[in-house]
Amino acid sequence: MNHPIHISGMGIISALGHDAASNADALLEERTGISAITRLRTRHRELYPAAEVKLGHMELGALAAPASLRGWTRTALLGLKAAKEAVADAGIDPRWPRTGLVSASTAGGMDRAENLYRQYFLDEVPDEAAQYVGTHDPGDHTERIAAELGITGFITTISTACSSSANAIMLGARLIRSGRLDAVIVGGSDALSRFTVHGFHSLMILDREPCRPFDAARAGLNLGEAAAYVVLESEAHLSARKGRSLARIAGFANTNDAFHVTASSPNGDGAYLAMQQALRSAGLSPGDISYVNVHGTGTHNNDGSEGRAVMRLFGDALPPFSSTKTFTGHTLGASGAVEAVFSTMALQHGACFANLRFQHAMPEAALTPVIRTLRGQPLRHVLSNSFGFGGNNTSLIMSVT
Amino acid sequence: MKARIHITGASAISPQPSFDREALDGIAAYDAHPLHVIMPDIAGYVDPIRVRRMTRSNRMGLLAALNALKRAGIDSPGAIIAATGDGCKESVERFLDNLIDSDEAIESPTAFIGSTHNSLAGLIALALKSNAYNYTYLQRGLSFPSALLDGLMQVGEEGVRHALVGAADVITADFFRTHRASGLWKERPVRNLDVLQSADPGAIAGEGAAFFVLDSEPTAGSVELLGADACFSIGDHDLGAHASSLLDPAGMATGSVDLVFLGLNGDQEEDRAYESARALFPEATLACFKPLCGEYYTANAFGLWMAWSALRTGSVPPEVVLRGRSTGGFRTALVHDHFQLKDHALMLLGR
Repeated sequence: MNHPIHISGMGIISALGHDAASNADALLEERTGISAITRLRTRHRELYPAAEVKLGHMELGALAAPASLRGWTRTALLGLKAAKEAVADAGIDPRWPRTGLVSASTAGGMDRAENLYRQYFLDEVPDEAAQYVGTHDPGDHTERIAAELGITGFITTISTACSSSANAIMLGARLIRSGRLDAVIVGGSDALSRFTVHGFHSLMILDREPCRPFDAARAGLNLGEAAAYVVLESEAHLSARKGRSLARIAGFANTNDAFHVTASSPNGDGAYLAMQQALRSAGLSPGDISYVNVHGTGTHNNDGSEGRAVMRLFGDALPPFSSTKTFTGHTLGASGAVEAVFSTMALQHGACFANLRFQHAMPEAALTPVIRTLRGQPLRHVLSNSFGFGGNNTSLIMSVT
Repeated sequence: MKARIHITGASAISPQPSFDREALDGIAAYDAHPLHVIMPDIAGYVDPIRVRRMTRSNRMGLLAALNALKRAGIDSPGAIIAATGDGCKESVERFLDNLIDSDEAIESPTAFIGSTHNSLAGLIALALKSNAYNYTYLQRGLSFPSALLDGLMQVGEEGVRHALVGAADVITADFFRTHRASGLWKERPVRNLDVLQSADPGAIAGEGAAFFVLDSEPTAGSVELLGADACFSIGDHDLGAHASSLLDPAGMATGSVDLVFLGLNGDQEEDRAYESARALFPEATLACFKPLCGEYYTANAFGLWMAWSALRTGSVPPEVVLRGRSTGGFRTALVHDHFQLKDHALMLLGR
């Protein structure tokens, strides 16, 4: 790619902490955010751990601080908090012309809808419910964040299951490269909801213990909630305003596995193609990658398939790799952006984060991830994978500036 | 180097007789809403056993997608891009009902899988066995123009030969009831073709699917996609400035536009936002499309299909002409739609 695309700011809220600094500390100090469910009122709370942001509606509302809390769902509040941090970190004014917003979510405002749904049908809808009518679609949080930050012009939402926010970052990079935008806030947000916990419970892919990606004994994923955004800017715009670059988006690709509605193909064809095409778009070869932040959900299917795809691509020269879902759980539509932020932090800190709780390699792809967080690593290019239902596969490459 | 972009295949499933045609085969009038699509026979497109398990939204989306590809003579597009405001709502509602009624005691994996918003784009990839780029946009009235803009970048700037771009949204009983509370719909029955004269607030509800094949090479009778934009607007929207942002790069002025499709939906307050088009395009034929398809998040995809049809056939059904002529050929068509005064879609076609 001839025109560099810079990451000039980032923001995140997850079970690890409410801002980027606390998230980085937890990763470096190997403190997981996965614990017993204490906030979400789900029947399954005794059964599964999760990575919750331990803030109630009013506390989160005070932290995100929209002009009025009316109609704000948890997904929208998490998103606003992280987007504000990213904007402040970059030092941009989101009201500038040619500044856009591309966000992502899978569950949208479901955390409200699942408890108020039947009230929407009443002839006289009580105000508690009325303020949330029509807020459960994924577009709601994006529109609210745009209105709150004063962003007009191009805004959109991508929902491609668990690759959603990686795709938001990829679209943002393409919009910058095409010259349509000078700056764009990209990322995603997903709150935990009974809907998603019960859904993944129905699919029988939740681990009753803290998840163990890439381990022979892995038994599924843990759910998490988070929002993460980065600010992408063109080189010309960044240097004209004398902003600073944290890293570059050097490559990206999206492919489809075209194998099954939910399952990944045994050899990870879509995943392999996404990684290969991302490398090609960056003008890099597998040997240039210094760390891989894998999708690594902890399900039998994903890790086997992704493991084989990684082995096919890198052969015997596999760089250090890990799943940071061992810290944050699987944050679904937010996970691609969460891990793009973590990949940027890896470059900043020269660190490869631990794949917590790993003990034994999988028989189908005998790979050993990073067991203890590595410091002082001369990282240049980090590959981040995000895969989703519908066969959706996205790979991003973050590089040092 | 930017390539020109041509629409070489299009297909719409709507409350009108639109499927597998390049112009409407008559106009369907309805005395009440919501309007529902005329669902075509799936024979010859998809295995009927697989279709039976699909939601209506996925069924109409998949059929429109496969029909658009067939009409373009393409079987393997380099990008599959879908849009929907809330396309998996049938599965979401089924899963929610189950969750609420059983208090999370009964599992329903099929409904949960169906509640993934990219299920249509995933199904298209499976049907075509396509490893290509596969995206899904959901931004209310901006969903479809976002997808179209993506396709425009893919084909125009990123070297993809063909992109399949489209949208699907259904109306369900629950969605209709829910949005009564937000005042989206007209309370009293109104004939769809008379809706623009209705003084009652709100619109009539509808649904539909429309897909388009974008190609970097023209074919006989293809229509050129000159531009598309999705614009979120707070406060007043300046149609003149917005239209110029599409017309200027195409080397055109407002006087070049001889056909304008407006997203008028019969809510008098919302429809005022289209008033400026009359003065801005004084010579152009003005037409509407929502009396035919109803209001839904991706109705502007049907609006683009109507504009494509008009450029291809040279005529517009007289029932939807608000001002000007309905026959005699058109060279340049602009579609302007807004959803609730905030989401402004602009799409420009030429031939």
